[in-house]
Amino acid sequence: MSWRQTKDAPFYVGYLNAVPKPLLVFLSIFAVCFAGGMGLAALALSSTQNDPGSGGFQWGNRFEQAGLLELRPYPVFRVPADGTTPARTYMLSGQGKRGVFGPAKANKETPVNLRGVPVNRGDLTMIQVGKVEATEDGPTGFQPSDPVPLGRWKLSGEICDGKCYAGAMRPGRGLAHKACADLCLTGGIPPVFVSTGPVDGRTFFLMADKNGNLLGDEIKDLLALYIEVEGDVERLDDLMVFKADLATARILK
Amino acid sequence: MSVQYMPVLWNRNKIFYDAVLLIAVGLYLFVFIRVAPAFEDVSKPIDGAILRMRAFGSCAFLMLTIILCIGPLARLDRRFLPLLYNRRHFGVLTAGIAAVHANYVLGWYFNFSPTDKYAALLSSNTSYGQVLGFPFESLGIAALLILFVLAATSHDFWLSFLGAPIWKALHMSIYAAYAFVVLHVAFGALQGPADPIFTGVVAASVVLVCGLHFMTGRMEAARERGEETAKASLQENGWVVAGDLDDIDEDCAKVVTLNEDERVAIFKYDGKLSAITNACAHQNGPLGEGKVLWGCITCPWHGYQYNLADGRAPAPFTEKISTYRLKLIGSTVLLDPNALPPGTHVDPVEIGGAA
Ligand code: HEM
Ligand code: FES
Repeated sequence: MSWRQTKDAPFYVGYLNAVPKPLLVFLSIFAVCFAGGMGLAALALSSTQNDPGSGGFQWGNRFEQAGLLELRPYPVFRVPADGTTPARTYMLSGQGKRGVFGPAKANKETPVNLRGVPVNRGDLTMIQVGKVEATEDGPTGFQPSDPVPLGRWKLSGEICDGKCYAGAMRPGRGLAHKACADLCLTGGIPPVFVSTGPVDGRTFFLMADKNGNLLGDEIKDLLALYIEVEGDVERLDDLMVFKADLATARILK
Repeated sequence: MSVQYMPVLWNRNKIFYDAVLLIAVGLYLFVFIRVAPAFEDVSKPIDGAILRMRAFGSCAFLMLTIILCIGPLARLDRRFLPLLYNRRHFGVLTAGIAAVHANYVLGWYFNFSPTDKYAALLSSNTSYGQVLGFPFESLGIAALLILFVLAATSHDFWLSFLGAPIWKALHMSIYAAYAFVVLHVAFGALQGPADPIFTGVVAASVVLVCGLHFMTGRMEAARERGEETAKASLQENGWVVAGDLDDIDEDCAKVVTLNEDERVAIFKYDGKLSAITNACAHQNGPLGEGKVLWGCITCPWHGYQYNLADGRAPAPFTEKISTYRLKLIGSTVLLDPNALPPGTHVDPVEIGGAA
């Protein structure tokens, strides 16, 4: 560590092929440690990533059913009960980061045949809509049920974009995903509240504002954070809707 | 192109250096993307695009860490000096890897939407007022821009075009890039679900980079304190006592610090002494830590060479550095602290012939 160059210190000249022997040994050891270290770091960092859950597109299980489109306030698809299967309400999204407000408004209250691909995580299902067609042989005289109020709740969890979290992207949540989720919501994909505690056994909620209307930019600063918020919960067939009163929202972490 | 920026030609060492670099980076990416997922304990793997963006992002971060450690390591132990040589390639490769990372981010998180992806990158998260949820992407963009500028100006052409001081100042912004990247991950990936290993790696990187710079800083300070005596002993009309003849090894130099940014290297060779500035005309490399090879002072950083008597690079090169006058009384070396214009010839002091 002397500041004085010494005669014995090996001296390397980059443009010469000859490298002093002790340096060669030193540098070879360094090269091996460097490459090996990078390999080990990759193994350590990559193999210990957090579990993104089991959400995903269900390409093998395409969706095609007749029913009614409603805005609640985001487009949902209501399917009548059929024999033993009870009536169901599906959240909808378009291709990519697009919603389906267009087709939902155009076909409001007339029976349609809807084709698409389900994106599913546990009891969260969203249909990526491929095609919506007015149909004659639809469910005639189908009257979807009214929402059942389940009272006021204080929920803690995260606001996610429903499509990515359902499995269009894994993991589709967390701060790394915030900007992406923001873009999804801007494009019209419904926000979903992922609660850490269940209401009536369910932890995923389609979100609306406290009056049941569409959420706007006020949601942006809360997106992807762990928050606590109060609001009314209601049930639409098997779908839970959370009318969040964002004025009560508090960032927990 | 003049001879001045003639690149040091390819040789075995450079090929070996670059080969090791490519192998290490290739191994990292291969293990991260292909091998490690087999050891994961997950319900379903994360998406390929996200896996790749993490692989390339963390690879660039580790590479940046190593680049910043090479400098101080080479000062603490000369055996690391050869690593300085091709740091240019290291840096350019890092910028490339970081760009691939950014490209995956754009092509995945900011794609598939009616909004243009570049517009989306800048506009979709604007929560600049909060720490949690801060648009950490912008910090990555800042770092990437710096890395690009440095990669683009890394060639010696720019060094000679801009001049060493400006070029050097520009390239010091690598530290800003590192700071931006650390903040990028601190506000981004590290805020996510707890990942002790990644947190540990980032913390270790910061400790290593800061620690090594702190140590070399202390070492240089101690060196300077030692030189205070030389400064204090201005004698004989301003001549400085530079130390004893025996302090200097044959074909090597002793460095005398005149003040904060003026150091002089006194070389001993062939029974003679010559003094030149310690700063290499190439990138201000410490010439005094170099050696005399084939009658020329050889810089330890990139091997630029200078004649001893006049500080001029041998033809066809044209670099010039300042020389200094010396005197020998008994075995005490005296130095005239007034630098002569670069390239001025000074007769070397004959060791045997002194009075
Ligand atoms: C245009 C510039 C950049 C953008 C938009 C960007 C964006 C992102 C995003 C969105 C993530 C989160 C990825 C995820 O975990 O899913 C991320 C993570 C990361 N980025 Fe960048 N980044 C940029 C530049 C950089 C640069 C220049 C570096 C390093 C030199 C870098 C290093 C990292 C690292 C180490 C991570 C954490 C990876 C992990 O989760 O394991 N980024 N970046
Ligand atoms: S600093 Fe590059 S050769 Fe001296």
